Amino acid sequence: MSIVRLIARDELRLMARNRVAVIAVVLLVLLTLVAVASSWAHQNGIAELRGRHAHAAESAFKAQPDRHPHRVVHYGTFVFRPLGPLAAFDPGVDAFTGNSMFLEGHRQNTANFGDARQSSLLVRFGQLTPAFVLQVVAPLLLIFLGYGALARETERGTLRLLMLQGTSRGQVVRGKLLALGAVAMLAGLPAMIGLVGIAGQPGALALPMLAIALGYAGYLALWAVLILLVSTLVRRSRDALLALVALWAVAVILLPRVAPDAANAAVPLSNRLQTEVAVARDLRTMGDSHNPDDPHFAQFKQAALDRYGVATVEDLPVNYKGLLAIEGERLSASLYDRYADASYAAQARQNGLVDWVGLLSPTIALRSLSMAAAGTDFAGHRRFLEQAEAYRFALVQRLNRLQMEDVSYADDGATDAGADRRKRIAAHNWQAMPDFRFSPPSGSTLVGKALPGLVILLGWMAGALASLAFASRRLGARR
Amino acid sequence: MPPMTDPILIDDLTLAYGTQRVLSGLSLRVPAGSITALLGGNGAGKSTTLSALLGFTRAQSGSIAVCGIDPAADPDGARRHIAYLPENVALYEHLSAVENADYLLALSGERQPRDAIVEGLAAAGLQEQAWDQRLGGFSKGMRQKVAIAVALLRRVPVLLLDEPTSGLDPRATADFNALLVQVRARGTAVLMVTHDLLSAADIADRIAFIEAGRVAHEASASGAERFDVRALHARFQAGGAKVAA
Ligand SMILES: Nc1ncnc2c1ncn2[C@@H]1O[C@H](COP(=O)(O)OP(=O)(O)OP(=O)(O)O)[C@@H](O)[C@H]1O
Ligand SMILES: [Mg+2]
Repeated sequence: MSIVRLIARDELRLMARNRVAVIAVVLLVLLTLVAVASSWAHQNGIAELRGRHAHAAESAFKAQPDRHPHRVVHYGTFVFRPLGPLAAFDPGVDAFTGNSMFLEGHRQNTANFGDARQSSLLVRFGQLTPAFVLQVVAPLLLIFLGYGALARETERGTLRLLMLQGTSRGQVVRGKLLALGAVAMLAGLPAMIGLVGIAGQPGALALPMLAIALGYAGYLALWAVLILLVSTLVRRSRDALLALVALWAVAVILLPRVAPDAANAAVPLSNRLQTEVAVARDLRTMGDSHNPDDPHFAQFKQAALDRYGVATVEDLPVNYKGLLAIEGERLSASLYDRYADASYAAQARQNGLVDWVGLLSPTIALRSLSMAAAGTDFAGHRRFLEQAEAYRFALVQRLNRLQMEDVSYADDGATDAGADRRKRIAAHNWQAMPDFRFSPPSGSTLVGKALPGLVILLGWMAGALASLAFASRRLGARR
Repeated sequence: MPPMTDPILIDDLTLAYGTQRVLSGLSLRVPAGSITALLGGNGAGKSTTLSALLGFTRAQSGSIAVCGIDPAADPDGARRHIAYLPENVALYEHLSAVENADYLLALSGERQPRDAIVEGLAAAGLQEQAWDQRLGGFSKGMRQKVAIAVALLRRVPVLLLDEPTSGLDPRATADFNALLVQVRARGTAVLMVTHDLLSAADIADRIAFIEAGRVAHEASASGAERFDVRALHARFQAGGAKVAA
């Protein structure tokens, strides 16, 4: 057996003989298994619930009787965001952002202007998911198992004993790294088994799962290197433990909590009420279709008359009220889109700031990687909002066109006894409306978004390995 | 037989820790198949001399050769020829006596079967019921015996011992001395730092006194003639007196 493997084997033997260490490893494995199972059951429950609600909403929409199309516009419908199978591994921001939306005419009802603080890293502490266990708990276990790996040998004089057998410092460090790396992979194993279970689900994508597996393996391996680096630099194991727990508290707990708040302070988002007020004010300045003197709508009316070569709206071959509804929806939607874009841009800037902090904390880098690959990050949420808005706009404009073509202008304005009946159009029109179908992103899109996090982790790894190689040359030297 | 250089050669060594000069012009050689006892007061520089031979401490001037290798230039190479019993024994508490020996021998590339290891432990005087116990509960003397066994199990040309009998009871000390005589018979060059004048008188072929950073006095015994303990003692008391065999 090579020297390095002999040293690794002895380190593992030491851990195996430490009852507390064995219990800690077993607890971590159990915790991961519970997290995998509960997260899985939770996501299945959510998926089932959302599917049922979506189906009920579609049925209710289609069950509407013969009626005026504009009443259908106001009746509206609900859409729900379906989750990919990887959400069971890392639900990301899903729990904190809206995942259902009421779609109706004239307005965009979403959480997208919300005060939900959707910075994609604002995942609350304590959700028991496989991602949480690996990101937060596993490094602590590795610290506990590895802090003394080298400091203990220096402190007790056994490092010299190893060197007396002709073993070099580099061999000692590599042996300890091999042992702690093996433990790190063991700690990640139950979660990876869960991941393999997810791979069997319909819709599971190979590339993002590979990115997640690589990311977490790299993250845990990075912790193994960092732990040995500190254990090499510090001469007493108690000091190594203190330093590592402090590092863990800052990199894993503090920075990921503080970064989104700092980003929020740096790039303020307007809350829902402020946005509503601003949109209402802008809508008033956009024009009033009921006011004959309104310049925008006067011009619109003239253009319509010119297009059909007629003198009055009564002579138009189509229902002018339908035309107005289409134009009004176009205007209000473009206004809402402007506010949404501004909000998206601000949130993207916030996330950008958080990503910069990710250079300081590998945990932040891993979180963005993990959520991006699982499709549960802010970009995934935005994808749902945009598709829902596109669906809403198409649905409303289809109904407005039905009003324009199938309801006459004369009937639309009439108030006589039979007018109400004449304005109605047949129920089969609603039944023919397509249902909302969320189209999930491709695997390569997801991986593309996960790439920056992976690159930061690799950078950390390269830096940590270089530092360890440098520090190991002075291992045990008197200072 | 071709002329062989001595396994331990130290010539005109000067060594200081920072500004504190410890060795100044120390010269010493230990031929193969002989035991040299290195005596001197506390802080005289005995352990420092061994440390320099092991390449853990660097001299400012002078030369050292362990089987022809300069430990300052190639410590790993020199250590491959040396078995060493340190002043403060450090062993692994989580391993049993047998496991300690097995691990350390495997690291030095000299793995031996369990039979050989327990034989070594028995020869060092460790009772059988302690062979497979973890060192956690061992007494100082028991640890010393394990460390002795590990050092003696290695088949190397140079054996450095730093106060090997400290902590051993008189019976174990006598057993240890008998072991050393066997080791010498294998052709090993033994350099033993000790305050145990009785043992030194009993088994050493040569005795060297360190004073003021150099070997102030050297004496040889030959054949059945042994050193006179009273004279050794007197040397410590007064200093300067000649010690005759
Ligand atoms: N690592 C060190 N750094 C600084 N000074 C040291 C170091 N090791 C030893 N010394 C000093 O060098 C001198 C010689 O120490 P050394 O340990 O060689 O003495 P010794 O002859 O083995 O004594 P003892 O009989 O007490 O074991 C002492 O004054 C000691 O304080
Ligand atoms: Mg000493």
